[in-house]
Amino acid sequence: MSIPIVKIEHEKVEEVKFTSSLAMTVALVSWSMLFATLFLGYAVYRLSASVWPPMGFEQISLFNPILSTLVIGLSSWSMVRAQKSFFANNVKHFRMMLFVTIFLALSFMGMQFLLWNKLNVHGLYVQSGIFASILHGFTWIHAGHVVLGLLGLLYLLPLAFDSNCLIEKQVRVINISKFWHFLGIIWFLMFFILFLI
Amino acid sequence: MSWTHDIHPEPKSFLSKYIFSFDHKVIGKQFLWYGIAFLGIGGMMALLIRWTLAYPGVPFPVLGNLLFPNTNGVVPPDTYAMLFTLHGTIMIFYAITPILIGAFGNFCIPLMIGARDMAFPLLNLLSFHIAVLSGVILMASLFYPLGGAAGGWTSYPTLSTIIGSPGAGQTLWALAIFVLGVSSTMGAVNYITTVISFRAPGMGYFDMPLTVWGLWLTAILNAIFIPVLSAGVLLLIFDRVFGTHFFLAGAAATSGTGDPILFQHVFWIFGHPEVYILILPAWGMVSDFLSFFSRKPAFGYKATAMSMTAVTVLSTLVYGHHMFTTQMSPLLTQTFMTLTMTISIPSAIFFANWLGTIWKGSIRFTSPMLFSLGVVFVFGLGGLTGLYLGTVTTDLYLHDTYFVVGHFHYTMAASVLLGGFAATYFWFPKMFGRMMNEGLAKFHFWGTMLGLNGIFFGMLMVGYGGMHRRLYNPFVYEFMKDLVPLNTFITISALVMGVFQLIFVWNFIYSLLKGEKATQNPWEVGTLEWTLPSPPPHYNFAEIPTVKCGPHEYGNPALKTGRDFQYQTEELVVANSAN
Repeated sequence: MSIPIVKIEHEKVEEVKFTSSLAMTVALVSWSMLFATLFLGYAVYRLSASVWPPMGFEQISLFNPILSTLVIGLSSWSMVRAQKSFFANNVKHFRMMLFVTIFLALSFMGMQFLLWNKLNVHGLYVQSGIFASILHGFTWIHAGHVVLGLLGLLYLLPLAFDSNCLIEKQVRVINISKFWHFLGIIWFLMFFILFLI
Repeated sequence: MSWTHDIHPEPKSFLSKYIFSFDHKVIGKQFLWYGIAFLGIGGMMALLIRWTLAYPGVPFPVLGNLLFPNTNGVVPPDTYAMLFTLHGTIMIFYAITPILIGAFGNFCIPLMIGARDMAFPLLNLLSFHIAVLSGVILMASLFYPLGGAAGGWTSYPTLSTIIGSPGAGQTLWALAIFVLGVSSTMGAVNYITTVISFRAPGMGYFDMPLTVWGLWLTAILNAIFIPVLSAGVLLLIFDRVFGTHFFLAGAAATSGTGDPILFQHVFWIFGHPEVYILILPAWGMVSDFLSFFSRKPAFGYKATAMSMTAVTVLSTLVYGHHMFTTQMSPLLTQTFMTLTMTISIPSAIFFANWLGTIWKGSIRFTSPMLFSLGVVFVFGLGGLTGLYLGTVTTDLYLHDTYFVVGHFHYTMAASVLLGGFAATYFWFPKMFGRMMNEGLAKFHFWGTMLGLNGIFFGMLMVGYGGMHRRLYNPFVYEFMKDLVPLNTFITISALVMGVFQLIFVWNFIYSLLKGEKATQNPWEVGTLEWTLPSPPPHYNFAEIPTVKCGPHEYGNPALKTGRDFQYQTEELVVANSAN
């Protein structure tokens, strides 16, 4: 079954952008509520605990989380550059920045695996109580969304070899870019809440 | 916004036309069939529950031996817990939601705002098929060892943890709800965007039919609060599958403790708006129907729209009244009680507007109007009984009794069911191009009202008498033995109501195949969908209409057209211009 194609005239660019941007904003509000619920839960656990981390556990080393934050932050920057290049019809630069973003996204995922491994090495297994549950569970949910974002980035790959910057494609780049930045912001909040304070 | 009015090609093959259709009208009908199928399953479960309460230990007639061969046709206690869990889950998430929001939302929004389809047809298609996947997961859970979920539709831990509910059933329940949440969120994104971006030229927000207002506000609540439940059930899945401790109470000092009450907070942060998610579309539709069939403009149209909006906002702030018995601080209980009572104000405004709309109207007692009047009656009762549960002092006594069950069935089940029937009778001609039989529809109405009030008022009474909800056999307790006759009466009422639903099913199927052909505008209504043939063509509007007046222009003495109403595409006739 082929997906029907809606014919779009170029003079309607702003309208297309508005509708698409509106939908993406609503979707991001929904995702924000999902993560806000997790943070609410964290606040309840944290504020009702007499000791944090609970007795017998140590706060884990910040090396991996800091590196993860830097990598996802860099990937946001490269995505901004990719988007700008695409809008400027500079396909070559867009291709390069998109590949950089994908590489950084994969690196971030790799670091997440290392983090989970490190948690286990330190005895912070999934079943080891609420502290470990939060570290594992929240990062799993975020990583699941990163995989979704990564699929979005891969979906942009064909554009890296197409010199025709049509409006539908611009909208695609803008939306995936927004989602990627959103994941970066969520990770930054997680880093601050779970690992720093 | 003309680009939005381009349309995907008309499907030719069976698969693209009926299964994987991008057309909002087809997707609406798909949701309708889906919802009606689950309504039947959930209704059957209700009858099994009621039979058990009226005749404890007696085999369920006809189907009993087939369903429960090991107990000679008697519903076993563990199955009873599954039945009330899945009855609630199915009716709320798989029957009411798909019918009111999925079916009528999809079918009506583009037609009523003058668009050719939803903003994102592919997202719409995916939304339906993901809902089907969720339904399959839920029903599959019944066939696993130890059966389906049995922790109640709220699935509070510890009942829903692996300790309280061993087996895959509860896990699949949580997974099904998560998947359905994805579907609902997709739908919400589509509805919100479509209403904001795709309204026909000239249609301001206060020119939209109140049906669209209701569906739009519902979509906003869905987009914001479904993810809250999704987060909760996701963590519940982690607890059950991977052994995390989010909702397991444990040794605080050594390993940190999870918090079962946290799930209740998360559930009700979603759950109270969910009440309005279900009821807002029905409110909107009823507000329209009362005007259409009173042949009068809706009394206080803007006040009704703004009251619905106020209820939407307030619904997000009152969830704590579901948790008065969880040792909340008195400051919090009083705050939630006050906020809950505040909802009465906008509710009373649009309720008064409904009465104002029918006051001195030239009422046409058609089937959609009868069902709408039914909603006015049952919603009044449901709303008033809610005051007792929103007040801390009375809630402490009534909590977890059948009074609560009666209350939420009046508001969520009765109002929404009657609203759904009103909508089905009203839009059936537009959906399928045929009329349903009015005589049978009215017979269905009276039978439903009789049965429904017998059930739900009876529930209020046994609840006030102290009967606890969720008990397999409450009559082992001496003080509840006197409630057996009343429970028998409730069950007979349920059977009466069930029988009358067969009339609806017959009318629906017969009319679909052999009903009288519908004209373009059989109800003589002025909203945009009635400017189209019945059923509308693939592209809806050959030319995008320009809206020139509101949706409720009836009984205007200045009209000289021979009609007592105006289409929204017509210039509003005022006394001077008519002369």
